[in-house]
Amino acid sequence: MSDSLLDLDGVSAGYAGRPVLREISLSVQSGLVVVILGPNGHGKTTLLRCISGLVKPTAGIIRFDGKTLNRHSSEKIVKLGIAHVPQGDLLFPEMSVRDNLLMGAYLCASAEDRQNRLEKIYALLPKLKERWEQMANSLSGGERRMLAIGRGLMTQGRLMLLDEPSLGLAPVMIDQIYAVINNLKAQGKTIVLVEEHPKRAFEVADLVYLLEDGRIIWQGKPEDMTGRQKMLDAYLGG
Amino acid sequence: MLNMAQGTLLTMGGYASYAASANLGLPIFLGLPFAMIVGCLIGYLMYFGFVQFMINQPAFDTSVIIATIGFAIILENVILKIWGAYPLRQPLGIAGGFFLGGVHIPYQNVLIAAVSVIGMLLVAWFVSRTKLGRAIRATSQNQEAAQLMGVPVRFIFAQVLALAGFLAAVSGLLLSTITTLSPTMGYDPMIKAFIICAIAGLGNIAGALYAAFILGVLEASIQYLFGVRFALPTMLLLVIVGLIWRPAGVFGRRTVTRL
Repeated sequence: MSDSLLDLDGVSAGYAGRPVLREISLSVQSGLVVVILGPNGHGKTTLLRCISGLVKPTAGIIRFDGKTLNRHSSEKIVKLGIAHVPQGDLLFPEMSVRDNLLMGAYLCASAEDRQNRLEKIYALLPKLKERWEQMANSLSGGERRMLAIGRGLMTQGRLMLLDEPSLGLAPVMIDQIYAVINNLKAQGKTIVLVEEHPKRAFEVADLVYLLEDGRIIWQGKPEDMTGRQKMLDAYLGG
Repeated sequence: MLNMAQGTLLTMGGYASYAASANLGLPIFLGLPFAMIVGCLIGYLMYFGFVQFMINQPAFDTSVIIATIGFAIILENVILKIWGAYPLRQPLGIAGGFFLGGVHIPYQNVLIAAVSVIGMLLVAWFVSRTKLGRAIRATSQNQEAAQLMGVPVRFIFAQVLALAGFLAAVSGLLLSTITTLSPTMGYDPMIKAFIICAIAGLGNIAGALYAAFILGVLEASIQYLFGVRFALPTMLLLVIVGLIWRPAGVFGRRTVTRL
């Protein structure tokens, strides 16, 4: 556990007194892709929102790179190096693709550095370069997702939180998104990936946590799970 | 957020400039910077006084509307208490004019038109090209996403309110040079600004510019052709028709929320 980048220890959280997460403990090693799997409405998104400071935990400790995050604001947490690509993209609809990406580098003070980051993202996601002048709300679903991921990468956080990147996309687009995730994995990025459907997520996962009703009910390597694929399919419905 | 105190901030700008020379004895030309500073400070006062406590609270938009109306009433009565209800003359301004095709055009009107255009261009440049401007647009379009990019949303609100106070003060000062100072002088521009925003679509800066220009010409034409009393009812009718026909504003594109 020495090189663990993110640690959650007994974290609980909820909305208006209604508990959603119950004593979650998990750890994410540097350079690994950790998948959090679970049915809809069982706390996956809340877990990510808790890590990035949008929801405050009611109990437990969140540690990132040795620092306790519990009391920090989201702005501070981004600064420490956590990039959260939220569910449903949450783009800036009336801003151009380029301006959306530049917002990802908001904390970067040098204009030259921002431009360099932009070039890197364009190289990784060439579609965004073609569309740079277009408003975000004129993009297709797949392009929006690419933009959301690109914007997250612009922060150059050491840890990426991806909330259901395949949600609502056609299979072809899901392939493209996972190709990008694989690419990031090959570059050694640390990623926490939340998914509802196990098939794709297992191709990139180093470690899997199963979440049910706000609790972690199983953890292990994806290989260990293949034998239980049938059970998993029944449990997650596909 | 919809700032309903904008009209009274405009009034305050006019009075601040008046006070600089009449009450504080400063040279007349210092009225402009004095009004700008007062405008910014009142913007910050609104932020620190009440807006900061409403951010991230449920029903933020409605609370802000009610709170800014309340603040406007307080400010208006402060003005009434200090300077009284009688119209006053704005000492700042330039006299004289010239004739263009038989029409007398005062230099003051030329100055107002010039400052307005320069002001609009500066604001347009600021929000579209600078980093702080981008952060302001981002915060207005998706507060949570802005937070995830590291934007200090509270700081942005404070700056926007100060900027709003600043612009209102400049406008109020310019307006008071061709009319007179009175505690209710901000009402008329406030209503017109509201009409323009409703027609352009709230938050649509470029649309507001077009709408302002078109409605301004329209208003003047109606006043000239049919009489002054028909102008305001026509404008209000336009708002009603506009809101039925295009609820997101004539220049507005409806933002579709996806789940």
